[in-house]
Amino acid sequence: MKKLFNIISLLVVLSILLAACGTPATSTPEVEPTTAPETAAPSTAPEPTTPPPTAEPVEPIATLKIWADDTRTPILLDLADEFLAEYNVKLEVEDLGRVQDIRTPMITAAPAGEGPDIFIGVHDWLGALVESGLVAPIDLGDKQDEFVPLALEAFTYTDGKLYGVPYATENLGFFYNTELVPEPPKTWDEVLEIGRKLKAEGKIQYAFAMAGGGYENLPILTAKGGYIFGRDASGAWNPDDVGLDSEGMIAGVKFLADAVKEGLVPATADYETAHSLFETGQAAFLMAGPWALDRIRKSGVPYKVTVFPDNGAPFLGVQGFMVNAFSENILLAQTFLTEYVATEEFMQKIYEAGLRPSAFKSVLARMDDPDLVAMGEAGANAMPMPNIPEMGSVWSAWNNGIALATSGEQTPEEAMKDAANQVRALILGALAGMVNLPGSYQDKVGCGAQWDPACQATAMQKGDDGLYYLTVTLPAGDYEFKVALDGAWTVNYGSDGAQDGPNYALKVEKDGKVTFIYNPETHLVEVKFE
Amino acid sequence: MPEPSFLEKLRTSAKTQRRFSIAIRLIIAMFLIIFSIFPVLWVISASLSPTGTLATQRLIPANPGLDNYHTLLSMQQFPFWSWFLNSIKISSITAVLSLSITTVAAYAFSRFRFRGRQTMLKAILLINVFPSLLALVAIFLMFSQVGDVIPFLGLDNHNSLILVYLGGAMGVNIWLMKGFMDTIPRDIDESAQVEGASDWQIFTRLILPLLRPILIVILILNYITTYGDFVLARILLRSNEKYTLMVGLQIFAGAQFQQRWGVFAAGALMGALPIMIIYLALQDQIVGGLTRGAVKG
Amino acid sequence: MTSTPAPPAVKRGTPFQLPALPRLIRFALLIALDVAVFWLLNRLASLGYYPLMAAVLIITLFVNFVLIRREAYPLRWMLIGLIMMGLFTIYPIIFTVWVAFTNYGEGHLITKKQAIDQILDLTYLPSSGKAYSWTAFRSDEGDYALWLIDAEGNAYLAKPDEPLSQPQPGEMGVGPLDARGIPESIEGYRRLNQIQAATDRNLKNIKFGEEGKTIQIRSPSEAAELLPLYVYDPDLDAMINQETGVVYKNLRGTFTSPDGEALRPGFIEYVKFDNFRDFFISPALRGPLLRVVLWNFAFAFFSLLLNFSLGLFIAILFNDPDFPFKKLIRSLLIIPYTVPALITILIWRGMLNPDIGVISRLLYNTIGWSPQWFTDPWWAKIAILLVNLWLSYPYFMLICSGALQSISEEIYAAAEVDGANPWQKFWRITLPLLLVAVGPLLIASFTFNFNNFNLIYLFNAGGPPMAGTPTPAGHTDILISYVYNLAFSGSRGVNYGFASAITIIIFFIVGSITLFQFRYTRMWEEVGENA
Repeated sequence: MKKLFNIISLLVVLSILLAACGTPATSTPEVEPTTAPETAAPSTAPEPTTPPPTAEPVEPIATLKIWADDTRTPILLDLADEFLAEYNVKLEVEDLGRVQDIRTPMITAAPAGEGPDIFIGVHDWLGALVESGLVAPIDLGDKQDEFVPLALEAFTYTDGKLYGVPYATENLGFFYNTELVPEPPKTWDEVLEIGRKLKAEGKIQYAFAMAGGGYENLPILTAKGGYIFGRDASGAWNPDDVGLDSEGMIAGVKFLADAVKEGLVPATADYETAHSLFETGQAAFLMAGPWALDRIRKSGVPYKVTVFPDNGAPFLGVQGFMVNAFSENILLAQTFLTEYVATEEFMQKIYEAGLRPSAFKSVLARMDDPDLVAMGEAGANAMPMPNIPEMGSVWSAWNNGIALATSGEQTPEEAMKDAANQVRALILGALAGMVNLPGSYQDKVGCGAQWDPACQATAMQKGDDGLYYLTVTLPAGDYEFKVALDGAWTVNYGSDGAQDGPNYALKVEKDGKVTFIYNPETHLVEVKFE
Repeated sequence: MPEPSFLEKLRTSAKTQRRFSIAIRLIIAMFLIIFSIFPVLWVISASLSPTGTLATQRLIPANPGLDNYHTLLSMQQFPFWSWFLNSIKISSITAVLSLSITTVAAYAFSRFRFRGRQTMLKAILLINVFPSLLALVAIFLMFSQVGDVIPFLGLDNHNSLILVYLGGAMGVNIWLMKGFMDTIPRDIDESAQVEGASDWQIFTRLILPLLRPILIVILILNYITTYGDFVLARILLRSNEKYTLMVGLQIFAGAQFQQRWGVFAAGALMGALPIMIIYLALQDQIVGGLTRGAVKG
Repeated sequence: MTSTPAPPAVKRGTPFQLPALPRLIRFALLIALDVAVFWLLNRLASLGYYPLMAAVLIITLFVNFVLIRREAYPLRWMLIGLIMMGLFTIYPIIFTVWVAFTNYGEGHLITKKQAIDQILDLTYLPSSGKAYSWTAFRSDEGDYALWLIDAEGNAYLAKPDEPLSQPQPGEMGVGPLDARGIPESIEGYRRLNQIQAATDRNLKNIKFGEEGKTIQIRSPSEAAELLPLYVYDPDLDAMINQETGVVYKNLRGTFTSPDGEALRPGFIEYVKFDNFRDFFISPALRGPLLRVVLWNFAFAFFSLLLNFSLGLFIAILFNDPDFPFKKLIRSLLIIPYTVPALITILIWRGMLNPDIGVISRLLYNTIGWSPQWFTDPWWAKIAILLVNLWLSYPYFMLICSGALQSISEEIYAAAEVDGANPWQKFWRITLPLLLVAVGPLLIASFTFNFNNFNLIYLFNAGGPPMAGTPTPAGHTDILISYVYNLAFSGSRGVNYGFASAITIIIFFIVGSITLFQFRYTRMWEEVGENA
């Protein structure tokens, strides 16, 4: 030990010498100038305009960097050699762990130019990624017909463009213990009935267990008629219609809460609990996804997968390849995906490794794993996870609502009403309740810009009479304006008092004070000049 | 009243009293040990159990075996040993350099009087209080930019990672070190100074040897912190062969730890070994009681 | 340099005169460093990395100051540490402060220039325009030609700056057509397959055909007569749609039309104090903030108290050279610290699970009752303190063991002569002296726990939930987990700007506590000064 101590002392001495001499350890880049130009050059170097017939076999003409998860990485790596040999294009595959671990690095790295050309992701990231300009659209051309329509739909954003090449879908399936339950139940009430009977016989502890919150219990909630977001006329998700306190949702939560009260479902919602109870035969049913097949099979419990009772719908998640909008090889990346990935051969390999139903029709048709086939059937009516950014506001409120109802702390009605209001507040943000008059006059009264629905200077104040007032001093001129609520354009009223109606026209004859009065009942604005 | 008299008797003899005290302390130790190692035994049991779920798991697993360890070491995407070496390399370099920086700086704080000394000490503590959520983004961007100019200080590079870790050297440990130094009487160095020794000589010859227990403590703390970090390492390291063990564990075994529970447990235990060994090797140095003699002399 | 003597009371801390040669070396190295930094600054500037450049510049000026000025001599001892701190601690803090005044977050992740470039790249197919499928040919000189086939099946040959032509096989060097109607060869050109063509990054930018009717490749399957959809007007700071004429003005980082239609993507933009304003008028403040803050203080305080007490207790208990099995016991007690917290927190989660966890089962089998560690608010709080105790006491055991060595045995001997009992010795001698060394660490530990996001998040994510709150919150949520949850679940996704603003507010809270503690608990400082 003395020796080690001496070494440490020596290093301490060394570092003091450095300090005393004034050459900090970081500051040794004087050797740099020789290497730097070399590294700066390659970014512009691969100009194929200068034909390199002699150097061709040595240096790949291009490199495609791919971020993948640990299941898909080996398949892509297998492909890399073949691809290099055939096209002299190098595939650089980096394994980032789970699929969901790719999102955050992508968000930090891509704008800095450090991102991959292609990355694997889940369709519900589109909200964040497209709004941030991080993914490039993909045109599958004729190959479009070879994909499962629901999977393509999931990767299509509200602007109608396709942003990913889907390879697999995943959704929950309904597992039941074949030893305890010979025939799968057709309704959720039957599920509890069977549970009650088996429990009375002392064969099980619980009918089933909640593996989590909203996601894991969705098949029950949808079976009772619950929904999360409504859809507008064109079928797009409508974030203004929050369905957490819809009658069906409350009924679904009540079903769970009653089951907990009766002792047929444990009060704690936990993934490990739900799976362990099923695997040890302590619970007769389980709602689980394809990711759990491995461990359920290993546990040796006799099981079967089937569709959900009462036609309950699980969430559909679609995994796919996306192209980084900041890639310098966008065309190559898109071509690689359409020519190489969107092929039966490749999709088959992914299917074999991933244990997920394929998003490619011909591969899906040949799927031979009975569990996956059953899971596909359970997901036939699945609801694609909403890919709008507002979905991010839903999760914790929704899960909390379910937890509060099942623990008995609140009634299902109270719990879900609170949850829905929390979601609405989160979606509207800090400016909820603001009534504003965005228009072309705003820059004259202290707003930074025109047509800003969140400008504090033009926010209206509520009077005692229930009407909203705003008084500003305007120079003479012609102006236009509109009414906007909650600091955003989502809800706005025009001069006819109708939503999204035409602009108000305002003519100010001479400089002076102008007072606006808004009536929240008629949505009309009255203008008074001083 | 048999009990008081029994206790009385015990107290009468210093030797018996000491035995009694040791016995009590041993019992306390036993409870503490159960508290401290029970969860770890649980991890060990999980790592030995071939079918690892929490519900089925017993302290002594049904068919114990080294399957999980075997899986761990033979996984193609899981180059355990090279990650392990990366971790050891990075933590060792960081721990020692960081200790050097801390010690020298603490010496200046303890022995020199200069303007702004108090303020700097407080500022160091205050700066380390800042919640560091966005530090990760800043550091990533920084190295992405530096790497464009100086390739060996870019992303996916161990040098960069070590540098970032050294940024923590001017942290609370300076206070710990300074506090310890402050208890070393100043007349020691004053008399040396009279004899014409330089600051540098006083520090290396007189002070440094007295610091041994605290040096070892800080070394171990540095080592454990660096070794256990996966947040910074995860942000800066990108390629499989450069990962540290904690990053690797988090990414691969942790990826679906609910599915690969046992493998994850095995990896975590093997990863914990170096710290255990270092602690075992150095713990005598912490409580050696060697310093007293020197101070007295 | 002046030879002003140091203040009379302070003899230390002035440099002894270095011999001439080392001093020369020092200056030579300093000049080398400055030259290197100058080069680095140049490169950073040419790449446009101005914030980093400013940081490097300031740090270099500081280094020069410290190494040249004599009065900065004590700082030379900590120069490397200060540089590292500047780069990796202070720079990120400044970055955070900057972010707090921007809208950086999902939806606004890229710079304005990047966003403008992306929008300008958008094209539209004018009503008269046509779309084709394409095949690329390349000459040895690197010139391209495209073989285009339109929807009706008509084939065209397109070259840059030349009008389209419709050559038959044999004309213009066009070879025989293959099954898909594409020539197998064109004289002077080599036919490329899709991938080969796509490897040229420039291909998308080449304009084929005559001026005014140029054709560009738009995707692997399509080339078309495209026109740029938007034009940027820097005076208006607005995008103008060429097809419809609508003007999209920059509104807090999004080009927005008067109707409220927004152009994607948004970009990073200064929003002044908006993030702070949003916090102060957000539902978060109307919500359970007070309860969260109270628990936050309780959590940090009790964590510190329990962890430190147990650590110190163990350190003192076995601070005895002759204690049997001392080494073994200590080694076993340090174990919780050696296994990564990432896994042990999850293990604790599993062990406390009310249905399948070992502790719950054990309690249930012995006393017939077990706490609801995850659904009962009070037991959840106790559980989290317990887990934190398990995770952290070895740290205090370690530093207390080290720090106990700084207490001279003579003091104890003197106390024993005065007839002090062990209890008195502990309160009068051990504890005060120990606090000299570890006092600041206690503050640091308090603040660490005050913001101990990882523990809360991994253990139960703040649960169980509180009922009837305007924003989602849990009974074990601490300030940072509660408000980050808000910042990360806004309607636009992760909002770093808002999170940074909150970070700064929390820093002010924790920072004032720290300063307060400095002011009113001066014991260690005083003892330190007297030593």
